[in-house]
Amino acid sequence: MSAPPPTAPAPAAPPLPTAAPAASAPLLSMAPMADNLAAIGRFGVFAGQVAARALRRPFFWGPLLAHTWVTSVRCLLPVVAVTTPFGMVIALEGLEIFGLFGAQRMLSSLVSVAVLRELSPVLASVLIAAQGGSSCAAELGAMRIKEEIDATEVMAVDGIQLHVVPRVLALTIACPMLNVVGSFSGLAGGWFTAVVLKGEKSGIFMANLWALATPMDVWGGAIKTTVFGAVIGLIAAYHGYYATGGAAGVGRAVNDTVVHSVLVFITFNYLLTSALFAGATP
Amino acid sequence: MAAAAAFFGRVGAYAYFVGDFVVAVRRHGVPWRLVLQEAYSIGVRSLPILLIIAGFVGTNLALQGYFAFKPLGGSRLVGMFVSLAGVRELAPIIAAAMVAAKAGTEMASQIGVMRIREQIDALEVMAVNPMAWIIAPRLVGIMLVLPALTVISTFMMVGAGLLVSVVQLGVPGEIFLELASQGISAPDFLYGQVKALIFGLIICTVSCYFGFTCERGPEGVGKATNQAVVTSAVICVVLNYFLSEVFYGGAH
Repeated sequence: MSAPPPTAPAPAAPPLPTAAPAASAPLLSMAPMADNLAAIGRFGVFAGQVAARALRRPFFWGPLLAHTWVTSVRCLLPVVAVTTPFGMVIALEGLEIFGLFGAQRMLSSLVSVAVLRELSPVLASVLIAAQGGSSCAAELGAMRIKEEIDATEVMAVDGIQLHVVPRVLALTIACPMLNVVGSFSGLAGGWFTAVVLKGEKSGIFMANLWALATPMDVWGGAIKTTVFGAVIGLIAAYHGYYATGGAAGVGRAVNDTVVHSVLVFITFNYLLTSALFAGATP
Repeated sequence: MAAAAAFFGRVGAYAYFVGDFVVAVRRHGVPWRLVLQEAYSIGVRSLPILLIIAGFVGTNLALQGYFAFKPLGGSRLVGMFVSLAGVRELAPIIAAAMVAAKAGTEMASQIGVMRIREQIDALEVMAVNPMAWIIAPRLVGIMLVLPALTVISTFMMVGAGLLVSVVQLGVPGEIFLELASQGISAPDFLYGQVKALIFGLIICTVSCYFGFTCERGPEGVGKATNQAVVTSAVICVVLNYFLSEVFYGGAH
């Protein structure tokens, strides 16, 4: 969370083509740590504002629907294009490791647990951060730079309420929906490798698909991705809404959005996996 | 149909772009003194986030493997699962994804800003070939550091898996390490390096392509950055499957 504060002066002119970017300070010095702590605090305040305004009239239903639709459609292809090959890779490696003790028939149990619990939620969220989150930051950043957000406020419409709340809610809604699509395409990828390419029996694959997976895995994936969607939306909106420094600032906001949201939800993911699934498995 | 036509148009434009780049490098050479600088800025700035992500992926691999093999009575196989999945698949692809997210987006937005501020035209006016000057050092730099980052992320992943297995899951450390070293062999590391080189090539050329073709205005830079990371991540993951199939698919 090292975005410059909203009041910070515009950064110096962008580097010459040859100059190394000088945006980040050395890793272990105290000043950036204090800056980062301050940025986390500002992010908390921003998240509180968004939450408060999400519950207050007026509700902008039209923008909410439009953003949900656009985000889902935009992210659909990348999510499918990434979860399918990953399901195929899991099947490829799983066949090898189960082949060690002649238990290839258990392959689909591993594939379904891996896809439902981890792969689909995490990969779908990474792609949604890269596609939906970063385009949310880019749109908000461009609106900030072109002073459209100020224009909104001059017209006595709350900028956060009109521009930020629908986008954050849209990502929160779209993320679990895309996770369902990602789960299906991951399982389909695993089935394709095992049955079509490697000649396992389709009936055995289907029969063992639910041997280890439980409804809790499906619900756990849905809970995880809802949390991840809200995190992505808030981080993207924070970086975009407080973008400074012209076109370069928008690029930086997009960059920070992807990096920070992946960082935060990979960390959350370990904690959520331990909390949701550790006790549930027989 | 229009969308498909536009898509193939982009693929063709990218191919032309790479061809132009090859011609430019053959004619003008690589500006070697910029290479180390770029390698430093790509590698060192991606390292902290890569370490954190690789660590958490390793912990999750250990949890996954433990619970997947437990019903078969093979919960001790977790070491083999972590090393096999980590070394062969996840370490190269996670390193590539993080470099795409951190360095790739930075390349796209820097070059995009240069484009819209007409600094690229200024380079041409100074008789400097912008493609050789801007892209070549980044390409050589990323291909120097990405294999190294892959090795680092492998060790971080297996190390985090070991930590979780011993502390949280109660698998003896010696058994974990013995099975981990049984699961993989030296060629697996080599194939990981080959994957890293190919991913580096893709990330750099795709990100620079979107930077060079950036449209006007702040939205243009945002869009270029956005498309750079999504496109390079998707291409890397799809290629990863085919590379794995080629390297490991015939093994059993």
